Amino acid sequence: MIRSRTTLSEAQVQALEAHLAGTLKPVTPPIDVVQRLRERIHFLQPEEIVSRLRDWQRMFVVLGGVMSGMLILITVGRALYFLVGRK
Amino acid sequence: MPDIEFNEEDVLTRASQGDRDAFGLLYERYIDRIFNYVYYRTGNLHDAEDLTARVFQRAMNHIQNYTDRGVPFSAWLYRIAHNLVANWHRDRSRRQEIPINDVPVLPSKGDHPERNLVRSQEQDALLRFIRRLPAERQNLLILKFVENMSNAEIGAIMGRSEGAVKSLYHRTLLALRDQLGDQNINLDNE
Repeated sequence: MIRSRTTLSEAQVQALEAHLAGTLKPVTPPIDVVQRLRERIHFLQPEEIVSRLRDWQRMFVVLGGVMSGMLILITVGRALYFLVGRK
Repeated sequence: MPDIEFNEEDVLTRASQGDRDAFGLLYERYIDRIFNYVYYRTGNLHDAEDLTARVFQRAMNHIQNYTDRGVPFSAWLYRIAHNLVANWHRDRSRRQEIPINDVPVLPSKGDHPERNLVRSQEQDALLRFIRRLPAERQNLLILKFVENMSNAEIGAIMGRSEGAVKSLYHRTLLALRDQLGDQNINLDNE
């Protein structure tokens, strides 16, 4: 069959569409995938709240770190003062 | 979910006001279609799952911005999916593609499971060729054959006129014919 570069015969269109229809068939997502997706949607937190929570958590960690550091410095300072200052 | 109880306009209004259950109804209605689209665009079950979840997460986070201007909600969802898949392909462009033969075969609707395990060489070749097409042509074929959409519906999703979709489809079939001919797949004996 001589191929025209820019036209398709009706038979070719039908054959191509049959190939495509046989290959591109709707698939059924696995049930576990659907279930996991459903859980991800229903228990999803809006992004803003999640990011705010993340910021609060980060702030608590930073604040806790600073306070602990200060406490250690004060303790060491007092210990040195107690040991050196008394001489 | 019975369609008789589903008034999409009402459900969309409720969902845009933050009603999680209403959004759940939209999810149940569109999950299969979006998953199918993403699955065929990625050819990868795990990424299809992840990207489908991200489509609905993004839709849920931005649903208050969705305004019905004659564009169906499904078209809005497909556009989100299209953007996420495009980003996914961009991110993966530096990495090696998964060969299509390694892609798990999911059961097609209405088929016996055993039949799905058998995928002909011709179908593999055709899938490989489809995945090498430009994104808009892949979209067109998936929406037409997997989702059974009309040219007008596809046009609404792709932001093109019905005539432009028809023309693109014709050019895609021409390319497909030439490609299949080069691989000695006979179209005349169908």
